[in-house]
Amino acid sequence: MSMQKGSTAQTEKSIRFGNGPGRMSGPIVKPKDRKGTIKRIWRYMKKQKAAMSFAIVLVLISTVLGLLGPLLIGVIIDHYIMPKDISGTIGMAGLLAIVYLAVSLFTWLQTFIMVNVSLKTIQMLRQDLFDHFQALSLKFFDKRTYGELMSRVTNDIENLNSALSQSVIQIFSSVLTVAGVMIAMLMLNWMLALVTLLVIPLMFFATNKIITYSSSNFIKRQRDLGDMNGTVEESISGIEVITLFGKEKEVYNKFSDANERLRNSAMMADISSGFLGPVNNFINNLGLGIVIAAGALMAISGMTTIGVLASFVTYSRQFYRPINQMSNLINTFQSAIAGAERVFEIMDEIPDLKDSEQAIESSSFKGEVSFTDVSFGYGGQKRILKNISFEVKAGQTIALVGPTGSGKTTIINLLSRFYDVDSGEIYIDGRNIKEYKIQSLRSKIGIVLQDTYLFSGTIMENIRFGRLEATDEEVIHAAKLASAHGFIKHLPAHYETRIESGGTNLSQGQKQLIAIARAILADSDILILDEATSSIDTRTEIEIQKGINTLTKGKTSFIIAHRLKTIENADMILVIREGEIVEKGSHEELLAVQGFYYDMYKLQFEN
Amino acid sequence: MLSFSVRTAMIKALPLFLLSEIDRQGKCMQALKALLSYMKPYWLFAILGPFFMFVEVAMDLIQPTLMQHIIDDGIASNNTGYTVKMGLFMVGAAIIGLAGGLGCSVYSTRAAVHFATDMRKDVFQRIELFSSRNIDAFGTGKLITIVTNDISSLQRAVMMTLKIFVRGPLLFVGSIIIVFFTARELFPILAAVVPVLILVIILFTKKSGALFKKVQEAIDKVNTRLQENLAGMRVVKAFGRQAFEKQKFANANNELTKVNISAEQLIALLMPILLFLVNMGIIAALWMGVIKVDNGSIQVGVILAFINYLNIILNGLMSSSNVLMQITRAFPSAERVQEVLAMELDIEEPSDPYDPRKIAGDVEFRHVSYSYSKNGEYVLKDISFQVKNGQTLGIIGSTGSGKSTLAKLIPRLYDVDKGNVLIDGKNIKTYKLQTLRETIGVVSQKGILFSGSIEENLHYGKENAALEDLKQAAENACAREFIEKLDEGYNHLLTQGATNLSGGQKQRLSLARAFIRKPSILILDDSTSAVDAVSESAIQKALKQEYAESTKIIVSSKISSIKEADQIIVLEDGEVAGKGTHQELLATNKIYQETFVTQGGVLGEYAKR
Repeated sequence: MSMQKGSTAQTEKSIRFGNGPGRMSGPIVKPKDRKGTIKRIWRYMKKQKAAMSFAIVLVLISTVLGLLGPLLIGVIIDHYIMPKDISGTIGMAGLLAIVYLAVSLFTWLQTFIMVNVSLKTIQMLRQDLFDHFQALSLKFFDKRTYGELMSRVTNDIENLNSALSQSVIQIFSSVLTVAGVMIAMLMLNWMLALVTLLVIPLMFFATNKIITYSSSNFIKRQRDLGDMNGTVEESISGIEVITLFGKEKEVYNKFSDANERLRNSAMMADISSGFLGPVNNFINNLGLGIVIAAGALMAISGMTTIGVLASFVTYSRQFYRPINQMSNLINTFQSAIAGAERVFEIMDEIPDLKDSEQAIESSSFKGEVSFTDVSFGYGGQKRILKNISFEVKAGQTIALVGPTGSGKTTIINLLSRFYDVDSGEIYIDGRNIKEYKIQSLRSKIGIVLQDTYLFSGTIMENIRFGRLEATDEEVIHAAKLASAHGFIKHLPAHYETRIESGGTNLSQGQKQLIAIARAILADSDILILDEATSSIDTRTEIEIQKGINTLTKGKTSFIIAHRLKTIENADMILVIREGEIVEKGSHEELLAVQGFYYDMYKLQFEN
Repeated sequence: MLSFSVRTAMIKALPLFLLSEIDRQGKCMQALKALLSYMKPYWLFAILGPFFMFVEVAMDLIQPTLMQHIIDDGIASNNTGYTVKMGLFMVGAAIIGLAGGLGCSVYSTRAAVHFATDMRKDVFQRIELFSSRNIDAFGTGKLITIVTNDISSLQRAVMMTLKIFVRGPLLFVGSIIIVFFTARELFPILAAVVPVLILVIILFTKKSGALFKKVQEAIDKVNTRLQENLAGMRVVKAFGRQAFEKQKFANANNELTKVNISAEQLIALLMPILLFLVNMGIIAALWMGVIKVDNGSIQVGVILAFINYLNIILNGLMSSSNVLMQITRAFPSAERVQEVLAMELDIEEPSDPYDPRKIAGDVEFRHVSYSYSKNGEYVLKDISFQVKNGQTLGIIGSTGSGKSTLAKLIPRLYDVDKGNVLIDGKNIKTYKLQTLRETIGVVSQKGILFSGSIEENLHYGKENAALEDLKQAAENACAREFIEKLDEGYNHLLTQGATNLSGGQKQRLSLARAFIRKPSILILDDSTSAVDAVSESAIQKALKQEYAESTKIIVSSKISSIKEADQIIVLEDGEVAGKGTHQELLATNKIYQETFVTQGGVLGEYAKR
């Protein structure tokens, strides 16, 4: 129902067919713990208890007034129009007008209140979820895709919004209406009331049958749709290879299979779900016909009046409609609860990295770093690092080299406490890093990553990210040190040039320079360059090297590079292979032992 | 009372007015018209669907009139037989209506699904014929969206049109006509109420359209904030900027809530107003009715029927504007689909293709220039060179120098803008496309593989290759070792995008896939960038020994990959900045020397010379 809102990218994924008014949509995901989830949502809504109670009172009043309408019409017909009492009719019509006015007013007011309540609840929930993301460690994000997390914040929360602002009221008022109409009908004429109820079992039976039948079809269609989409995605993203290897026909056949399967299952699913509308319509009309015919016969034999019959016509509409819609409403509500459950699931993730109670703030680091017997694996059984030990004196430059996947970046991740070691200790200035507050530890460590992520905003803002309180002059100064000033000067709006999301309007080298400027501005005590120049061609690298030299001057720095040339001057080179330090020493020392480093070096530079 | 959520209907009705704008452009309409040809084979379904809906609506509309007769003729004259007859009529009408409704569902669904499925088939087939330049014009992401989402939304729109878009206006117009003929005394009420209803809906739609656009913008902002935060999580954590990020998100979140509240509150106003208007119509009917009943011009049943029709009119109006939304949303989709179908293919089979049995593999470029966009800047400028069969050509240059583009011109992924590319002395444009591409083995940097087993992926290179050949090719690509370490070996299943392999493994498999064809021309486009140095040198050795007869074109930014080539071309800004062997270039070419030094070489005596 709320497909048109929310992120388009996300809603596009959950393609649905044929859910027009009163028609059903796909299979519904049921919540696991409905009660618990509702309770938690309630905790958010509790803050607006007063407003909500008021809305509920209004629903009550407007429902009762809504029941009064048909009753009055019946009375007007029987007692005023039939006896041709014009002034009496006009008087009663005036009363009816007042009732109608009140109904409209209260209906408006209750929606008004609920919209406020639900949107504010949603706002809180969304913020809490985002805030919780910030507290979670990288371990959490490693296990999930961005798309999945985005969908929590957009789709799931948006569904909850529409359920809160509409379904809750609708379910509530539907139940009230059904109960109220039933009472009113029984009071007006119990026999006719029973006639009205006759078709209800038929309604439940038919609806249930259709939903069961069509949801099995929906599951099939959903599966075929997934297959088809997967085939299309793969074929189009690999189209160059398909063209080159001349496999158009094979791929087309594969697609065609999936497409034909979808043709059949989509047809079955849409036809069967399309039956729900007409069938309900039929049952309503049938019910109406029976009520009118029976009522007329009763009227002829004097058991009821035309006015009562008129009331019944309206009442039976009021009565059938909520029952027709109930399954839809409950489904909306249920999938909203299931969505909320997924949101709470994330909120329940306990951040696995937390400051200990005695954690201390560090004002600055001298820069002595040591690893003793550090071992680590990312969750799985595989150990990425095995018994890593080394010591670094303040101000030294350490290079980490080794094949891809050997564990270089992991060492850095542990030093910045993105993850905690499985065993062993890491010390900075003689203190275990777990004794520092995480925030203060990280603020003293500057990192330039291979993948420099830039935020949408101006270049100025992006560099300032390194130190929020820096003045414009300081930002420009940092950019100059990073040799980024040169290209920024030539951009259309200089430092105020906007960076598109992800920085697509800058070259990789330019982005790298901005990241380096950012790190220079942060002025940290320990520096980490994680393949900061690897995706840049060598000539640009020379340019960046100047910036890097400024950055690392006099500071303990760790450099990961696969171009060995860039690290020849390091004070110590650690050669990592399959999670272990296999060699350690200066460039000359390592060349002299003629080991793994020597081999790598020879391979890269052999003439 | 209203039958469905007015709010939803309103949001859906919002482009009611965009429609007129789109109409003015006319482009979408044209696209829609062009696509309607897909409906042709199913025209019978497309007619039967609305026809059955017409039946259902007619039966719905007849109900209040039958009721009126029961009251005015049956009850008033105490005619039991007549009442029973009319009652049975009502039941009969309901049954006929059911048949209509079911029939409509069957036929309009058929029409819509067939329509979309056939279209999807054609669109996919068309995309397969696209050249790389055609694909660049859209972008792969957009193409995928067109085949999946856009066509689905067209299907939905067709179904809606055939079902509900027929139903709404029919109910609306039908009721007005029936009231005009059977309750003309009360018709003035309709004449007053209906225009006001329409006016209110129009006003609200206009207003809410603007508001919901703002809501969408606010949603986009929240999403951008979130997406950037997630993508930059490491940076955020590294700089300890969580509080800063929270604040930024809170700003976007507050803004969204604010505009959302104002939009939803506007919508919350509509339903009660419409309700009130219709109810005022009822009041007026009672008022006028009592006077007319008094002077004998109508009977009481007419009033009741009228009230019923008033409700139907409102429902019809709401559902029409609701469905119109669905349909207008599909207009841009139609346009995009049509764009794909109408795209001019820029690389096609020559009319009289040259199809030699064997291609030796001499490659020549003659004054070749290429630009990605017409009138745009040339990425390749006046390139000329020659490679003889069995030789190795190295192409080196920095990022953006045009070296990958050059490689893609040979298998005609792109066509040259100026100049000629020749193979065995004949322009490649005269070759049969399939023959040309079969002769060439290309390995790109990305190492694109397909879901399926490793064996299936290797067979891509040559369908009928024996397992032994596969193993040999894998061996040459340094892939055999890791494949055989896998539990399933060659039957190991790759996920979509081969996410269960590392970058280096993917590159090695795509090398093997090209090797297996034993192509006359082998093009390696930076295809060992993620392969470790030890494996790379083994691959180079295999290239030399096992593929001695193939012409090898190696594109790289690393000197180590190309220094043994018979001929090296240095590309700089799309131009040939130097040509020669490694030694020659070291002695004479400044750019090459610089690259060499930055990659760790020692110039030594070469520089002195």
